[in-house]
Amino acid sequence: MTADLLIQSTIIGLSIGSIYILMALGLTLMFGMMHIINFAHGAIYMLGAFAIYYIFFQGGVPYFAAFVLAMILLGTFGYLIERSIYRPIKGGIEPTLVALLALTTFLQAAGYPIFGQLDKHVPPVFQGTRNVLGVMVSVERLMIIPMAGALVVGLYLFINKTKMGAAMRAIEQDKEAAALQGVDVHAVNGLAFAIGFALAAASGALMAPIFKLDPMMGEQPLLKAFIIIILGGLGSIPGAILGGLMLGLIDSIVATALGAEPAFLLSFVFIILVLLFKPTGLFGYAP
Amino acid sequence: MTPCRSVTWTTLLAASVLLAVSPGTAGAADVVKFGISTPLSGPAAPWGIPHKNATELIFDEINSQGGLEIGGKKYKLEVVAYDHKYVIAEGVATVNRLIAKDGVKYISILGGAVVKANEEPVNENGVLNLPLAYADGLVSPKNPLTFHSFPSPPETTTFWKWIKEHHPQIKRVAAISPNDDTGWWSIKVEAAFVEKLGYQIAGKEFFERGMTDFNPVLLRILAQKPDIISVLASPAGSVGLIIKQARELGFKGRFIHTGQVDTSVVANIAGKANVEGMWVHGYVQAPLPEKIKSWQARYTKKYGEWNATSIDFANPAFAFVAAVKKAQSLEPKKIGEAMRTVEFDNLWGKAHFGGKDYYGVGNQIIYPMPFSEVKDGVATLVVQLSPPHN
Repeated sequence: MTADLLIQSTIIGLSIGSIYILMALGLTLMFGMMHIINFAHGAIYMLGAFAIYYIFFQGGVPYFAAFVLAMILLGTFGYLIERSIYRPIKGGIEPTLVALLALTTFLQAAGYPIFGQLDKHVPPVFQGTRNVLGVMVSVERLMIIPMAGALVVGLYLFINKTKMGAAMRAIEQDKEAAALQGVDVHAVNGLAFAIGFALAAASGALMAPIFKLDPMMGEQPLLKAFIIIILGGLGSIPGAILGGLMLGLIDSIVATALGAEPAFLLSFVFIILVLLFKPTGLFGYAP
Repeated sequence: MTPCRSVTWTTLLAASVLLAVSPGTAGAADVVKFGISTPLSGPAAPWGIPHKNATELIFDEINSQGGLEIGGKKYKLEVVAYDHKYVIAEGVATVNRLIAKDGVKYISILGGAVVKANEEPVNENGVLNLPLAYADGLVSPKNPLTFHSFPSPPETTTFWKWIKEHHPQIKRVAAISPNDDTGWWSIKVEAAFVEKLGYQIAGKEFFERGMTDFNPVLLRILAQKPDIISVLASPAGSVGLIIKQARELGFKGRFIHTGQVDTSVVANIAGKANVEGMWVHGYVQAPLPEKIKSWQARYTKKYGEWNATSIDFANPAFAFVAAVKKAQSLEPKKIGEAMRTVEFDNLWGKAHFGGKDYYGVGNQIIYPMPFSEVKDGVATLVVQLSPPHN
C-alpha cells in the first residue's frame, strides 16, 4: 500500500468511525443507565435519514436546521417510547428487549408503504473534493468528522458538567442510591432515551446525503454499533469512541489493503482477541 | 371460555386455516395462475417492480380480449406476485408459498442467488420456470423446465467486441460485483471474455448486498488505474453509490453494466453528470421503435410512470403465452417442449430459446440485444447485437 493510499484510507476510516461512534454512543448510554440494548437504534437511524429527506430535500428547510429538527423529533419519539413502553413494563430487561425488537420490525415494515419501495436519495450538502495531505477526499466525508466530533464533545460536557448529567452518572452507578438522593429516575431515563434516539437520528441525518435511503438501511450500522460497544465495553462512552475509531480504521485500511471480506473477518478476529484478554471490553468493568 | 364459545372459535379457526391453505377457489379452473417471486422493495426493486408490472400488463391485455385459448377453452391469466427483497431466505419462502399454497405451475423468479436456492423445489414439483437471473449452471440439462428469459453474460459480453472496435483506447478493466452466485459467475464469464480480447484485468472486487460504503473497495480498485469499471450484476441502488463514490475519489473513466440497470435510478443517486458515458445492456430510453413506443404508452397508462426496464423484463410473459399457445396444453412439460421450438415476438423483435452448443440445453432466450450509452442523461441505443451462440 502506498503512502497516499494509506492517508486516503485513514481519512475515510476516520469519517466511517465518526458515524460508528455516534451510533454506538446512544446505544452504550442507554445500556449504561438502564441495562437495555436498544434494538430499535438502527430503525431510528433510518428515520433520522428519512427526516432529512422530507424536511431538507422535500421541504426546503436548510440542512443544519433540518438536522437539528430531526434530532429533536426523534429525541421526542425516544422520550415517548420510554413513557409508553419502558416505564409501563417497569424497566424489565427482557420485556423491553422484545418490545424494542417489535418496534424495529414495525418501523421497518411500515417504512415501505410510507416511504415507497424504491431507494430514496438526498442531494449532497457539501459539494466537491479537497486536497488533504496530497490526496483527494470528498468534502461530504470530511465534514462528518467535525460534526460527529461536536456532538461527542457536547454529550461529554452534558454528562460531566450538568446537573442532569450528574444524575445520569448517579443512576448508572446505583439506581436505588440515586433515587434515595432525590434523583427522578423516570425523568432521567426518559432523557437517556431521548438522547440515545437523537444520536441515532443524527447519524442517519449525517449519512443521508452520502448514501441512499431505504427502510432497512439501519441494519448494518446497528450491527457495527453492537460490535463497537462490546469492543469498547458495555456502557462505556470512552470505549464507544475508541471502539468506533478502531473499527472505522480497520474497515477502511484493511479493506483497502486486502479487500472487503478480509476486513470484515479481521474486525471480528480483533474483537475476539480483545475479549480474550479483557472480557469486559477495552473500558468496561465487571458489574 | 365457555364450551359453546370454544367450539365457535375452533370452527372459525379451522375454517380460516382451510381457506388459507386451499389452493383453489370457485372458478379457479378457468384461471391460469402465474407466480412471480421478485424484489418489490429494497435496492433491487427497480428490477422487480417492472418485472411484475410488465407481466401483469401483458396478461391484462390478453384477458381483455377474452383470455388465452387452450384446447378450445378460454382461460384468464392471473399474476400471483410476492416480494423477496433479494433475500435468499425470503425467495425460498415465497417460491414455496407459490407452489404449495397458491398451487402455481408456472413461475418467474428474479435474482440468481434466489433462483439457485429454489432449484430443488422447482425441479421436484415439475414447475415451469422463466427466471430473470444470472447464476452458474442455471441454464443446464439438470434444470429442464427452466428457461432463462433474459440475455446472460455469455451473451451480453459480446458487447466488449464492439467496445474494442469503437473505443480502442480502453485497455484496463476493473470489476465490482455482488458477493454471491450471481456476482461470481457474471464476473468470471466477463473477465474470461475480456481477457481473450486482450484487455488487462485491473482488479476484481465483490461486495455484500446492502453495502453502502464502497470507498475502501474503490480505493483498492482505483489504485490499479482502470480505464473502465464493470458493475455487472449489481443492482441500481448499489451502482449509484459505486459511481458517486468513485467520482469523488477522482475516477474519470467509464462504467459499464452488461447485465441490466435502470440508469435513471442510478443517476438519481450518483448525480446525472457522473453517469454520463455509462454503457448498459437492456435499458434503452431513446430512440424507441414504434412497437416499444406503443408499449410505453400502454405501460404509462396503466402504471402512471414509464419504466424502460419493463421492455426486456416482459420476456417471461411473452415466452409463456407463445409456448402455451403452441402447446395447447397447461402441462408444464408440454409447455416446456413447445418453448424449445417456438419463435415469438418480444419488444425488440423475434426471439427464441437456444444456446444448446454453449449450455448443453437450448433453454436460453436469444434475440437482438440492445446496448445503450448514457448521453445527456438519456440511455441512448448505440447498437443491437446478436448473441455469439444461437
